[in-house]
Amino acid sequence: MKKLNFIFVALLGMGLNYSHAQTQKGSVLIKNATVLTVTKGNLENTDVLVQDGIIKQVGKNLAAPSGVQTIDASGKYLMPGIIDAHSHVALDVVNEASSPITAEVRMKDVVNPFEIGIYRALAGGVTISHAMHGSANVIGGQNATLKHRWGAKDPSEIIMEDAPRTIKFALGENPTRVHGRGNGIQPRTRMGVEAVLRNGFSEALQYKKNWETYNAAKTQKGNTLTPPAYNERLQTLADILDGKIIIHCHSYRADEIYMLINVARDFGITKLVLQHTNEGFKVAPEIAKYTMGASVFADWWAYKMEVYYSTAFNAAILQRNGAITSINSDSAELIRHLYHEAAKTQRYGGLTDEEALAMITINPARQLGIDDKVGSIEVGKQADLVIFEGHPLSSYTVPQMTFVDGVKYFDIKADPDDQRQVVSATEMVEPIFLRTEEDHRCLQDVDAYFEAFQGAFLEEKH
Amino acid sequence: MKKQFLKAGIVGLLFSSLLTVNAWSQSDPTGKRRVSDTYAITNATIFAAPGQQGIKGTVLFQDGVILGIGANLSLPKEAQVIPGDSLFIYPGFIDGAGLMGVTKPKDPERPKDFVSSNPPDELAGITPWRSAMDQFSITGSQVEDWRKSGFTISQILPDGGMLPGKATLMILGKEGNVNVLKENTAIAANFSGSRGMYPATVVGVMAKFRDVYQNTSLALDHSKLFASTAGVKRPEMTLTQSGMAAAVQGQIPVIFKAGSDLEVRRAIALQKELGFKLILTGLENYENVIGLIESSGTPVLIKLAIPDDKAVKNQKTEDVTEATKAQYERVKKAYENAIKQASLLEKAGIPFGFTTADAKAEDAMKAIRTLIENGLSEKAAMAALTTNPASILGISRMAGTIEKGKMANFVISSDSLFKEDAQIKHVVADGYIFDYEVKKKSTNGNGKTEGETPTITGVWEYTSETPAGSSGGELVISKDGSGYAGTITYDDPSGGGKVSAPIKNVALNGKTLTLQFDVNAEGMTLTVDISGEVNGTAMEGTMAVAQFGSFPLTAKLSSPNLTF
Repeated sequence: MKKLNFIFVALLGMGLNYSHAQTQKGSVLIKNATVLTVTKGNLENTDVLVQDGIIKQVGKNLAAPSGVQTIDASGKYLMPGIIDAHSHVALDVVNEASSPITAEVRMKDVVNPFEIGIYRALAGGVTISHAMHGSANVIGGQNATLKHRWGAKDPSEIIMEDAPRTIKFALGENPTRVHGRGNGIQPRTRMGVEAVLRNGFSEALQYKKNWETYNAAKTQKGNTLTPPAYNERLQTLADILDGKIIIHCHSYRADEIYMLINVARDFGITKLVLQHTNEGFKVAPEIAKYTMGASVFADWWAYKMEVYYSTAFNAAILQRNGAITSINSDSAELIRHLYHEAAKTQRYGGLTDEEALAMITINPARQLGIDDKVGSIEVGKQADLVIFEGHPLSSYTVPQMTFVDGVKYFDIKADPDDQRQVVSATEMVEPIFLRTEEDHRCLQDVDAYFEAFQGAFLEEKH
Repeated sequence: MKKQFLKAGIVGLLFSSLLTVNAWSQSDPTGKRRVSDTYAITNATIFAAPGQQGIKGTVLFQDGVILGIGANLSLPKEAQVIPGDSLFIYPGFIDGAGLMGVTKPKDPERPKDFVSSNPPDELAGITPWRSAMDQFSITGSQVEDWRKSGFTISQILPDGGMLPGKATLMILGKEGNVNVLKENTAIAANFSGSRGMYPATVVGVMAKFRDVYQNTSLALDHSKLFASTAGVKRPEMTLTQSGMAAAVQGQIPVIFKAGSDLEVRRAIALQKELGFKLILTGLENYENVIGLIESSGTPVLIKLAIPDDKAVKNQKTEDVTEATKAQYERVKKAYENAIKQASLLEKAGIPFGFTTADAKAEDAMKAIRTLIENGLSEKAAMAALTTNPASILGISRMAGTIEKGKMANFVISSDSLFKEDAQIKHVVADGYIFDYEVKKKSTNGNGKTEGETPTITGVWEYTSETPAGSSGGELVISKDGSGYAGTITYDDPSGGGKVSAPIKNVALNGKTLTLQFDVNAEGMTLTVDISGEVNGTAMEGTMAVAQFGSFPLTAKLSSPNLTF
């Protein structure tokens, strides 16, 4: 009986039962800063009081309750913690590249809290990253939203427990290359990608119906109906159809973006965010109308055929067409200066300070479904904060301190060189793998997969 | 009439059984049969259980069972008496999980319609129906190496992918006997994915594990319904589901290999989510999860090896910057912490055992001594070798201590076991006595060879006997300053021809030549140790690779370098 109950729970999408570790919450009073709230304007010489990880007061001349540390931020800027809606930092595995649909895999299973990238991100003011599955598959794995609580040893301590579920999709060259060209199966073309999506969702509907029929019948007396096979892959797709999971889809070309919008509309899916979206500017009104917007690079393109038709004005065009727009990194390097990336939308497109800052704070928060908790400086929100020397959109700005839940995890004044959490007992110099594409991790872990096909890419099939 | 027939039958039966007895009582042409199955080791120092004082006395055992221990035992006439006056007797060691003597079965051919995104279970490393028993061979050097190190019982794991099969409890007794203590003791599980097919990575393996587990559970429900209700379609249990059923029903544990703290967390997360019985094996870095191991009550088997100290030993003392020194310090600290972990498990009160998988038999005792030097008590070390694994494997009734009625498995050493100089002289497993030559301390009494260093430079032709057959190559040694250098050729592991590798750490100690070389196989670097005794132009010794055991090696110096 217990087992049955368990399966029922699992099917409802609540199977994941990570032991909820106690995360640390801090209290602090930050005084006399220029507070860039992002949602409620800029406040000069203002204090922000944080208690137990929550922003309790924003105002002037606040007094620190006993035991609460005060930080003088005179002449400095305080902004909400930066949120990166596309990252692969702190993951032991990025791609389970072996099937066109791998909706059942969970990145939460492979979070690595020791990865140095977390600290580097904190040093760039990033407090939350969206640790995504790679783009090898049409439907990849379920992502993890991470809070950068550096120093945690238990992965569940850096997983943002109150963030909704999200999943990675990918269109275009990556899935057609890995599965079509690499392995001779669908999808070989963009049409195939659409077919994989539609077939997947149709199967999921059937799967859901089978279980509903079985669950209704099994309690009846004399029932002869037997349980259908369990399939977390299809269950996850059914959860998407039920609006329980936000899709984040790797996409470049306008035609495939519009295709996905049509698929989503046909299946009644509204929780959809587009990732990369270099040709998003061509379909900006459609993106604004039917999706939760796009998360784009500021000015990065031409690394493969489908990414040539690009412009640095992309973010500004999307924004001014009413699409929720964010700027992301997809890189352990870019993640360190997302504030510069956001500033580029002012150079290319003339966005306001508030619009530019929203691209790395409240907008990605909305796309991750966590805008009621983070993404701006408002009373009641979680105290993820960054203090900058200089305006964060200035080329000369330097992040000074980064807080997550009111706990300081980065302080430029206490920043020893060696920040490693784990040191090998057997390696004097830890190995660095030059073959790993440092910049673009979307296709990480696919290498071995390619090799396995005996050089399918070199056209030497034996 | 009928009765007579019956009588005739009975007579016939009697007759045939008489014949059998006759057959047995004939002389043994092989000369291998024992004169008696009863032994008494007299006047030895007996350490009956971890932490107990040694007592002087006799151990009497027959047919592999301990008949008694004590000072005033009356010995039966047939008992062979072994004077144990200078010997120390300990309970035989128990290996919580081992791969000794196991040969990985060949992967089946890929079917013509093979699709890597949905491969047959057998190709994807999902073979829970397999048994380690079918992969195990007691003959060969691996079992012998571990027995020589004191191991008398091992839970043998199957080799393979994420769910390679079921473990078997083996006694490391006499070749040719049935040495199975218990079949299907646990389902083995690994986080390793299958190359180039689903599931390929640890994230896929975890998802696939859930899938296999849940579907087994549903298939069992289906079978139950079929058994109780008419009109239900027949169940179609797959091989995989039949193989997994015992674990899903909680009859046997899943033994998960988890080397790092993150893997330990992953296995325990799966356990909490699905509810199976769990044993963790192969732990190497676990300092961060000692609290979790304790609170979850998960039995653990740590790897019987200590990390390589090369990185620590190669640290320079001169001409290094402060930053480098600080890095050195961290590596040193990491090393110290690594060898201290076992003592932390003891402090937390966790009754851990050892696994011999991926460890080297000849380094096992040194590893244990290092753990003891770094805070592990001798009592806890002994418990980890005997009573703890016995309890984890559910065989405390028959093994783990020296007590009347338990199995006659002993480690017999020349001195207090954990002392540097102690040497294992005999191992008794299943009541069979295995004698090991005790290395004589290098004395200067042997006048003839004293001071004479054999010539080792030149070209050696060697052959070694491995389970895969005999192989060989050329070993070229030349003088290099005050030491030696050279190259070795060996059969290319990826097939076809010979490859050459430089040799390193060449040392000649008296007549013993030791050297190492690295083999690159499938992206892994394996260090091969060669050690042998040189006698004139001949050498006899072993070639050892960590995970694969040691193999006999012989070599001949075909063209010695003449030194002028």
